[in-house]
Amino acid sequence: MKIKKNYSKVKTIASGIIPFGFLVIMILYLIGPSSDLLEFGVSLPEITIEKIEFIDSEIHVTVRNTGPIPVKIAMADVNDRIQSAAIEPDKSLERFETALVRIPFSWNEAEPYTIGITLDDGVRFDKFIEAATPAIKSDYKLAGFFAIIGTYVGIIPVMIGLLWLPFIKRIGKNKYNFFLALTIGLLVFLGIDAMLEGFEVSKENFSTNFNGELLIITITLLSFLGLYYSAEKLTSRTSLTASSKPLAIGLMIAIGIGLHNLGEGLAIGAAIGLGQVALSTFLIVGFALHNTTEGIAIASPLAKTKSPISKIIILGLIAGSPAILGTWIGGFFYSPYTAIVFLSIGAGAIFQVALVILKWLYQSEQKLVQASIVSGIGVGMLIMYLTSILV
Amino acid sequence: MLSAIIGISTIIVFSVFSEAQLEPKVFVTHSGQVIQTSGDVLDPLYTASTVEFDPGKYLRDFNYGRISELNGQTIREFTIIAEDDKIQEISPGVFYNVWTFNGTVPGPTIRATEGDLVRIHFINNGSKSHTMHFHGIHPAEMDGVFEAVGPGGGQFTYEFEAGPVGVHPYHCHVMPLEEHISHGLYGVYIVDPKEERPPADEMVMVLNGFDTDFDTENNFYAANSIPFYYQHHPIQIKTNELIRIYVVNMVEFDPINNLHLHGNLYNYYPTGTSTVPSTYTDMITLSQTERGIMEFKYDYPGKYLFHAHKVEFSEKGWVGIFLVNDNPDQKSQTGIDYEN
Repeated sequence: MKIKKNYSKVKTIASGIIPFGFLVIMILYLIGPSSDLLEFGVSLPEITIEKIEFIDSEIHVTVRNTGPIPVKIAMADVNDRIQSAAIEPDKSLERFETALVRIPFSWNEAEPYTIGITLDDGVRFDKFIEAATPAIKSDYKLAGFFAIIGTYVGIIPVMIGLLWLPFIKRIGKNKYNFFLALTIGLLVFLGIDAMLEGFEVSKENFSTNFNGELLIITITLLSFLGLYYSAEKLTSRTSLTASSKPLAIGLMIAIGIGLHNLGEGLAIGAAIGLGQVALSTFLIVGFALHNTTEGIAIASPLAKTKSPISKIIILGLIAGSPAILGTWIGGFFYSPYTAIVFLSIGAGAIFQVALVILKWLYQSEQKLVQASIVSGIGVGMLIMYLTSILV
Repeated sequence: MLSAIIGISTIIVFSVFSEAQLEPKVFVTHSGQVIQTSGDVLDPLYTASTVEFDPGKYLRDFNYGRISELNGQTIREFTIIAEDDKIQEISPGVFYNVWTFNGTVPGPTIRATEGDLVRIHFINNGSKSHTMHFHGIHPAEMDGVFEAVGPGGGQFTYEFEAGPVGVHPYHCHVMPLEEHISHGLYGVYIVDPKEERPPADEMVMVLNGFDTDFDTENNFYAANSIPFYYQHHPIQIKTNELIRIYVVNMVEFDPINNLHLHGNLYNYYPTGTSTVPSTYTDMITLSQTERGIMEFKYDYPGKYLFHAHKVEFSEKGWVGIFLVNDNPDQKSQTGIDYEN
């Protein structure tokens, strides 16, 4: 009896593995004996210029082989004029390998430059930089500067937003539902915003080979599903009292917004780090106004419960302080890959929170098509749009 | 999951710094900076060129043909073979499919005296039709336009009397013409006057370029094909010796090209058809296939630049140096007797 059971188990495993075996055999056959059969068309080499930094009288260019075949780098140019240069570690790049091209060049601050890299087949790839800005030096002073910006953009606005809590507490049920719906609107907008931002980063820095758009959608969905699943497990396992459930939702919103602010911090840090824009006070004011609305988003679900001030402040910190971390990562270690990963995780988290609030509203109201809810979502998105113009 | 994604992305970010070698190499930039690197040097400006074509040899290489005589007329016979499958290193590390006459870009310099019979046995070993079209005076059927010579060994014999006196280009005239010319099917054809020009150190300079990424803009420019060649292999000349350069502009895509000489001026004979120079200058601008003869002498020894004063071209390779050595045979003359 037992043997029979074991035998059937083996059968199950074998039937699961056999198709894989055939797949492996097919791939080996295609790469090996029949590789000549499938050689048609021309494989074109391709590289992507991922980063350009302006160091003391040198321009540093990070290139990646993003094509289907190995490439050799032959030449560098600045504004389409040939320059001697060094390439480290060496000029041969395997698929996905990167190298650093150092071009000695006395560049002028704030002037635009086009950097070109020519391959051994004579094809040239280039990237335009609007204004040369000296690469920032990583030191404590700059880290402190970033922390201050992160505080202005992340923590303070969220805290100010939380100050609306007493106001939301006082209002009636319909108006309260309006504010919850408003939160949904704000979050949906933020989620879409993060994804669009990711698409832009991908378009500017990624080769089409990397399928940046699909990467963003995949990570967003994974983040959404992962957080949704773990949140459901959490809320169902612990016996949540009526008063602690809103706090749990508030926490989820805070985490989602925190991830979003991490992405925003990345954008700001990278903008300063890469010298793409002069970060003006105006931009910071814009981000700050924009992020005040995030405080409202956290405050709304907490409104009908008695939550201790300390917990609310902690929620505010969870939502706001990642902005500081973001500026550090963006400023000191910027890479389009990290930017896209964080933006996508943030987007997924935000959509998850929006869905949780929507479910919560549905549970208490049994009906979503209400003037207060529909208008709340609409107004939320409108507010976000209008404040986003300032950024 | 989150930490896994962050971990992976960190690996991607830091992979840039993961492979470093330890033997430093040194190179000097054109502004004199000395740069040390642990990697490779990408330096088409100052590294010794390793390219196959030798502009140093081409510069003073004149082909007078196999000479015979019939009824008092000198017959000069040449064999020219066209090919279009060569991959040549046209700048250090950059490879390009050149189309060639006798294996090089530019093709051989064909030289005859006015009135000679020039007979060219043309063989097309390429994969496309090609011809040879000479600028000059000849019968219509020798013009190399309507008689395309087929690929894979097609033959044609061009025969005409050399004339007029001067410096002329020859090139393939098969459509699409721009493609055939920009790939390298051109060369220089010199017709000497019956009464020889004064003895001189003579050289040929074809001003050309290569559009290696096929965007109808040249990526490289040069005198005689190889960018920066005469800058790191200066042309050796002597003081007070007459220098005569046969210059032909074969640059495609750009409407003009020019030649500026440092520390000196030259007598310029447009197309070389007149023995009287049209101007005495240090800067001549040439359009497509525009050409002429430049004559000058240097009074002072030293290094003198010559380059396109369309500086874009010189920064993409069309720049060179004359290294003027002291000439012990001739004492420095005060008057400029070649000025006319």
